[in-house]
Amino acid sequence: MSILKVDGIRSNSATSDAITLASDGTCTANITNNLSNRNLIINGDMQVAQRGTSSTAYGYGSVDRWKNTHSGIGVTPTHSQQTATSSDTGIWEAGFRHYLRFALPSAGTASAASWLSFTQFIEAQDIASSGWNYTSTSSYITVSFWIRVSTNQTFYANLGTRDGTRKRFSFAITASGNNTWTKITKTIPGHADLQFDANNDRGLDIQITPHYGTDFTGNTTLDSWVDHQSGTNAYPDYATTWLTAGASTFDLTGVQVEVGSVATDFEHRSFAQELALCQRYFYMHASGGFDLVNTDRCPIGLGYGYTSTSGFVMITFPTQMRTDPSLYKVVGTDYFNFAYNGNNGFPNDISANRMSSQVCELSFHTGSSWDQNAAGMFRTYNTAARVGFDAEL
Amino acid sequence: MTFPTNPIYKILKERAAGKDPDGNVITPQVTAIIKYLGTEGHYLEIPLNKDNTDYQEYLLWVAEGNTAAEEAD
Repeated sequence: MSILKVDGIRSNSATSDAITLASDGTCTANITNNLSNRNLIINGDMQVAQRGTSSTAYGYGSVDRWKNTHSGIGVTPTHSQQTATSSDTGIWEAGFRHYLRFALPSAGTASAASWLSFTQFIEAQDIASSGWNYTSTSSYITVSFWIRVSTNQTFYANLGTRDGTRKRFSFAITASGNNTWTKITKTIPGHADLQFDANNDRGLDIQITPHYGTDFTGNTTLDSWVDHQSGTNAYPDYATTWLTAGASTFDLTGVQVEVGSVATDFEHRSFAQELALCQRYFYMHASGGFDLVNTDRCPIGLGYGYTSTSGFVMITFPTQMRTDPSLYKVVGTDYFNFAYNGNNGFPNDISANRMSSQVCELSFHTGSSWDQNAAGMFRTYNTAARVGFDAEL
Repeated sequence: MTFPTNPIYKILKERAAGKDPDGNVITPQVTAIIKYLGTEGHYLEIPLNKDNTDYQEYLLWVAEGNTAAEEAD
């Protein structure tokens, strides 16, 4: 048996060690694959879409955890979950089967107050306890993601902080050509002014921006942390090539934010794992159309008639939500059914009578009457009916 | 359901009515804020919790001088 005694192992063509050995018998390695629990982004591969697969809503509405905002561009864009195929060279081989798309119906117009962005917010406590020594300039966080654009130009992205003095780190991103998937990586150092409190508020946000108007651009320094100012320091002025080219698309997937100076391979998680992580922020409890026999009916829970025109159902969430959630509801005439003792009531509306981060006491009301004190099953009765809970950042 | 689209917020009060143990008539308290989501029948019912970002957005909207509609008693 022999022992190899060295202080480091380095590729002939590299400028830094792949493995650095310390005098205490330990080592540090820049391993780029098969590491677990390092991606601070949730649903970075865009596989979960509880609200639906396509939306024109401002904010959340399609792929979970991604806030899609737009204003002043003269057209209404659609944000959607798209399914990748083997033709998606690059992301397909890397194991991605979905991506998030912003699509313009036609050419947009560039006004000063216009913008279009993808954003994900990370809880402050998750950054505080991530292991990133964020006040040190020699400690790093690394961002990586894939983009594809129909018309290429220089775009920008940034990381932003919320606690203490708000800071922003902006950097340029460019695809390798039109309609070509390109992997972007950026390593970002800490800064003495960064602050992340140990709470469930917004801590770090990553924003990837197809377009920003001049109200928000023009006075910034790229590739360094600068103080956040409302207005002019988000990015340099944007070219409007992509926005005005026609029915442009901007595709995004494989978003990863991890502690360290190396962009490792994307941490693929199972659908079940990713869904469970998403449900801390949004949980779709019932959606008319889940029942394969009666496609308008989805169970909500067992309930009882408090009066002949109101009743209650208790819903327990699958995981504790970030905070007391908003009730997301799609309601209308006879959208719900209260079935009891061979009879039926047809409530039109629901409300959250009591709400915590773990349980909702849901009331159903309005519409036809039912028997007071009756116990029965409460369910949807229309394919459009929805019952969800929203605690997004 | 008729709902105002401008303003997009409506104040929701307690549905339960009656008297307290001392016989006083209970005044329904505000329990949530309802936000119209732009399509008939689509709403967010927002709890009065300052950690809830929907409630934070509502408070900003009020701070800008806007007023939510009152639910009919």
